[in-house]
Amino acid sequence: MMEWEPQIWVRAAAFFGGGLCIGLGAIGAAIGEGYTASVANESMARNPSQSNVVLKDMLVGQAVAESAAIFALVVAMILLFSSFSNPSWLTAAAIIGAALSMGFGAIGAGIGSGFPAGEACRGTVRQPAVANKLMTNMLIGAAVCQTPSIFALVVSFILLYTDFSAMPVWPAWAALVGAGLATGLAAIGSGLGGGTTAQASVEGIARRPESASSVTVVMLLGQAVVQSPAIFGLLISFILLFGTYEANSSLAPAMALLSAGLCVGFGAIGPAIGGGEVGRNGVRWVARNPGAGQVITRIMLVGMAVSQSTVIYAMVISLVLIYVV
Amino acid sequence: MAIEGADLIKAAAFLGAGISMGLGAIGPGVGEGMVAAKACEAIGKNPKEAGLLTRTMLVGQAVSESTGIYSLVIALLLLFVV
Amino acid sequence: MVFNLDVILMTWISIALLLILGIFSVRKKSLVPHSVQVLGELFVRQFASLTEDALDKELGRKYAPMITALFMFLLVSNWLGAIPHMSEPTRDLNTPLSLGFMGFVIAHYAGIKAKGFRGYAREYFQPFPFMMPLNLIGEIAKVISISFRLFGNIMGGSIIVLVVSHLIFSLILPPFLVAFFSLFIGTIQAFVFTMLTIVYIAVQVK
Repeated sequence: MMEWEPQIWVRAAAFFGGGLCIGLGAIGAAIGEGYTASVANESMARNPSQSNVVLKDMLVGQAVAESAAIFALVVAMILLFSSFSNPSWLTAAAIIGAALSMGFGAIGAGIGSGFPAGEACRGTVRQPAVANKLMTNMLIGAAVCQTPSIFALVVSFILLYTDFSAMPVWPAWAALVGAGLATGLAAIGSGLGGGTTAQASVEGIARRPESASSVTVVMLLGQAVVQSPAIFGLLISFILLFGTYEANSSLAPAMALLSAGLCVGFGAIGPAIGGGEVGRNGVRWVARNPGAGQVITRIMLVGMAVSQSTVIYAMVISLVLIYVV
Repeated sequence: MAIEGADLIKAAAFLGAGISMGLGAIGPGVGEGMVAAKACEAIGKNPKEAGLLTRTMLVGQAVSESTGIYSLVIALLLLFVV
Repeated sequence: MVFNLDVILMTWISIALLLILGIFSVRKKSLVPHSVQVLGELFVRQFASLTEDALDKELGRKYAPMITALFMFLLVSNWLGAIPHMSEPTRDLNTPLSLGFMGFVIAHYAGIKAKGFRGYAREYFQPFPFMMPLNLIGEIAKVISISFRLFGNIMGGSIIVLVVSHLIFSLILPPFLVAFFSLFIGTIQAFVFTMLTIVYIAVQVK
């Protein structure tokens, strides 16, 4: 098998990767949009007179939630139909890395942006007067919630369009796959967390429309901190992508690089989901009790920061795996 | 390609270190987030007790972080000692 | 020994900016403050009340100047990256690590002073004596987490700005990226670093 031309392996990897990419990438958006639609139905049943507005909210929200899956579709299409010039073994690894990055990266953002969209439908029925405010806030929240999937898209484009032929195949293949895994897995949690935070802000505005501006600001603060696990994953990815490697045909260095990507990728999932929970309750209570807004915001930021310490340990272990061993 | 025993063991240790820290970070992250989420809620209900609640939140988070620190210790042991 | 002259230069630039702000905000002090004085008073008052909230009145007064200075330095450092041809001193791991270590030393000094050495040392043997090594690692891990959080965010942000700008041929988007990653995330992370330093002191003292 090893005697086959790299050309064949690259084609095989591209087809396999294309399937993997859109297969994984479709999970999130489908769940998110399904959630939105279910809440929209529930809301319409409560107040059928608002069904037009709810339908509009639902469709706009679903369109935003869909964008992560569309990124995955784009990457899958590129994999299926582009002819890779100058193919080498590393091209195959880069393709798999790109597919994993975009595939995993679309899950969180897809599910996450379904939450604010659903909540906007519910809020519109409760408070038809502020439907426009809800829509604006939902769009801002859902758009910020897409950021991790954009990180994943950036990494997969770099993997696809950079010429890695100067690198030694072994161990650099592991670095490329690891880079894809790091950003892709790290994006899951941040997408979800950003979504739960945005959901609470839409809910809060529906309850107390006059607190809209402060709630949006607190939401953006929370979402920005929830993004940091994804930023750590991206940092490790870039270090893996642009590192210099000595040719070494033994297994250990390659596994260290792959493991670095896995470590920060998995490690980022939990803290970001936890941060999303903090954001949800923080934003919700800023809306309900604006007098304590400053204290709640402060506690929210500290709580998020402390719950991120484990992803920072994961990042340190990744850096040790890349630089020290 | 011939893989030697020592090489395989080292490779497994590296992979194990990454997976131990990576998976070990998930639980504490979610747990600490829940602690902080409830702290936000509690302060929203009773802002006067903010100082006490903050301290309790930090102690609770420190305790729930201990499993993350166990993973860190195991990962470092796998990397440098074993 | 290697000196990172760029980072040292950038650190000095941010110190110089802060000194200029300080000089201008206390020059010609008046009861109706002029604009720079308002800025200075805003920082000092906000962080003094923040510190006093977290610690008590007396300790708060003692540590407030340090906390305010820490925040202002981090803020200016993180914003420096928004200016062309300049880089954030916090992008080099040495800066956050030394600031984190400073916070560690101050927190433990405060703890020993508040509880006496015996009371301070006893904390490490809670809840069981054999937990001592893990408690010790937990304390050291705090320094790691606070400094790598700042480093990772600033470094990651600046790399994203660089790479994305390159990918889109520097059209339209870069100013917004810089505004988000350098100014917004930089401000949040400076605040988080400062808050955590206060919190670490508060945990040691109580």
